[in-house]
Amino acid sequence: MTAPIEVDTPLLEVDNVSKRFDGFVALDGITLSVAAGERLGLIGPNGSGKSTLVNCICGTLANEMGTVRFEGATMNGLTAHERTRRGLARSFQLPRPFTSMSVAENLRVPLLYTVNARSGPHLSAAAIDERAAELLSLVGLADKAKQLPRDLTQVEMRKLELARALAADPKLLIADESMAGLSNTEVADIVALLIRLNERGITIILIEHIMRAVMSFSQRLVVLVSGKKIADGAPDEVIRDPEVERAYLGQ
Amino acid sequence: MRTLTFFLVCLAVAAAVFVLARLVGNDYVFFAGYVVLQYIVLATAWNILGGYTGYVNFGSAAFFALGAYASVFLHKAFPVVTTYFLDEPYALPIPALIVIGAIISGFVGLGMGYLTLRLRGAFFAIATLALAVVLQTLITNWSYVGGARGAYVIRPNEIEPIGPYIHYLFLLMLALVVIALTVARSIERSRLGLGFAAIRDDELAAEASGVPTLKLKLIATTISGALMGMAGAPFPYYIGYLQPSSAFALDYAVNSIAMPMIGGTTSWVGPLIGAVLLGTLQQVATVTISSSVNLLIVGLLIVDCVIIAPTGILGLLQGRRTARDVVADQAVFALLFVINVIPIYFLHQEALSARPLEIIFWAVLIFLALARGRMIGLPWLVALPIVGAALSVVPGPSWLWLVSALTLVICLACGLLLRPREAIVRSGTP
Repeated sequence: MTAPIEVDTPLLEVDNVSKRFDGFVALDGITLSVAAGERLGLIGPNGSGKSTLVNCICGTLANEMGTVRFEGATMNGLTAHERTRRGLARSFQLPRPFTSMSVAENLRVPLLYTVNARSGPHLSAAAIDERAAELLSLVGLADKAKQLPRDLTQVEMRKLELARALAADPKLLIADESMAGLSNTEVADIVALLIRLNERGITIILIEHIMRAVMSFSQRLVVLVSGKKIADGAPDEVIRDPEVERAYLGQ
Repeated sequence: MRTLTFFLVCLAVAAAVFVLARLVGNDYVFFAGYVVLQYIVLATAWNILGGYTGYVNFGSAAFFALGAYASVFLHKAFPVVTTYFLDEPYALPIPALIVIGAIISGFVGLGMGYLTLRLRGAFFAIATLALAVVLQTLITNWSYVGGARGAYVIRPNEIEPIGPYIHYLFLLMLALVVIALTVARSIERSRLGLGFAAIRDDELAAEASGVPTLKLKLIATTISGALMGMAGAPFPYYIGYLQPSSAFALDYAVNSIAMPMIGGTTSWVGPLIGAVLLGTLQQVATVTISSSVNLLIVGLLIVDCVIIAPTGILGLLQGRRTARDVVADQAVFALLFVINVIPIYFLHQEALSARPLEIIFWAVLIFLALARGRMIGLPWLVALPIVGAALSVVPGPSWLWLVSALTLVICLACGLLLRPREAIVRSGTP
């Protein structure tokens, strides 16, 4: 796993980032920093700009103003795959598996195109298969390795999404609503998995509607409402913030 | 290493094909075979972009024509003046022309990709079509390569040590087939092929997994374009007189899409199967029935393939779709049935030599009757089209044709009106 860099250097810095769709302001001057090794929860009502922020961080969308810095270097102008190779992986809100490939092959894509595209020793074909098998057993899909994504349940699809993001061997993992539609025990499973990954050195941003999961996972909580950051701090304090309460109860 | 084995096997098969063609001893085999081989290269080339990466290219003819016109240009620009007027006017041997054609078409492919690959789906397809139109207009107005009136490229009759020139062209095209198939297969099994498949499945997810999508798409258009240019380079020597309408013919665009679709787009075998089947059929149809029924046959066969085997013949063979799925809906059954009766009717009015072509459509009818008959619990239904086929194909008095038609009508009516057995049991009727 990646060695944690200096504790006081933020891993990710989002500096005054804005995004507009025609007239609609999706993000309005967001500033946010994530320290290496942190577990950050990002919440907000529907349409508050969470996914847009993720897309701007990951390079799927270009931000209009502001800067996104990763390990101190600006990422403006980098394409999504370049950001992935630098160590920034995401899972999609709606699972987007490679439908023509088996579950194990789905993981080979990031292993070949991210891990093996970085400088340093490359994984051999056997090591790639081994790593894919390891990741699948980590998320609990070991017995589905040969199946096609269309034969998976919704829950398994989300696990595959997570495994594929992890296969890129990221320093920062952004999990975009990995738990929607899951049962209580499954939510607990995934939270435990994410915490285990974090202990191995991966910084994680969790975007989630299930408050129970967010509260048990996050060390810090950021709240977005209408493209603005309205709270940032310890989860217990943030959740009692009158402004946050108003935003949630008001909808 | 495995690629090398595959390459050698391909070479051996190609050598066998050449020897067999020589044994037949009729040059027509070479003329017809050349076209089929050319389509194998075109279909394989199209599939690298269209099948593996998922970007439909309607401009195959443009790349093909570029290769052909590059040859015309070089043929005119570098003639060698010798005492033998007909035997040695060629400064550049055709293999060199093929390489040059590949380079030019590859570069145009790269350029087109760079301009258009930020477009997705239908927009990309339209852009490629536009490229073909623009290029055709340019060539038509470029009088150096013949312009609208066309250009003559006189080929020698013989070449040492092979013999007739068409044998030489056939051999070259066989070599191109070997190259194209080896390239396609090695891409399919490589990291590149995995990246292509990722792009086809989900471009956004591919990018998020670290796949440099734009770069890979450019590689795909370049390889695909280069292979098409290679296929086009010897064409002026084959046809002897090249004009824009023959180099930019719609056939190339349509066939290079239809053939992989019919065969199956996910593997190198698909375009090969599709090109051999459809290409051979077109050649046979052109000889036996020299009329527009030819087009009708090919068109209806494509319709059959799209409905019966939407994932190609490969998909059908791999059991991704069963006969039961095809005929489950009685409307689909009836539509397919009627579609396959139409060409039989037209073929029947053609010369007797066209009768063998009917067999293809009878076979589809028998397949449909078999599948539908099993479903509705009347296995004997299959006997009707078999009787019909026997009466129709075998020459006899004309009233036999009426009996044959009657069997088809009965078969269609049974298939359309009777419901599947489960439904009958449920409604309680005997």
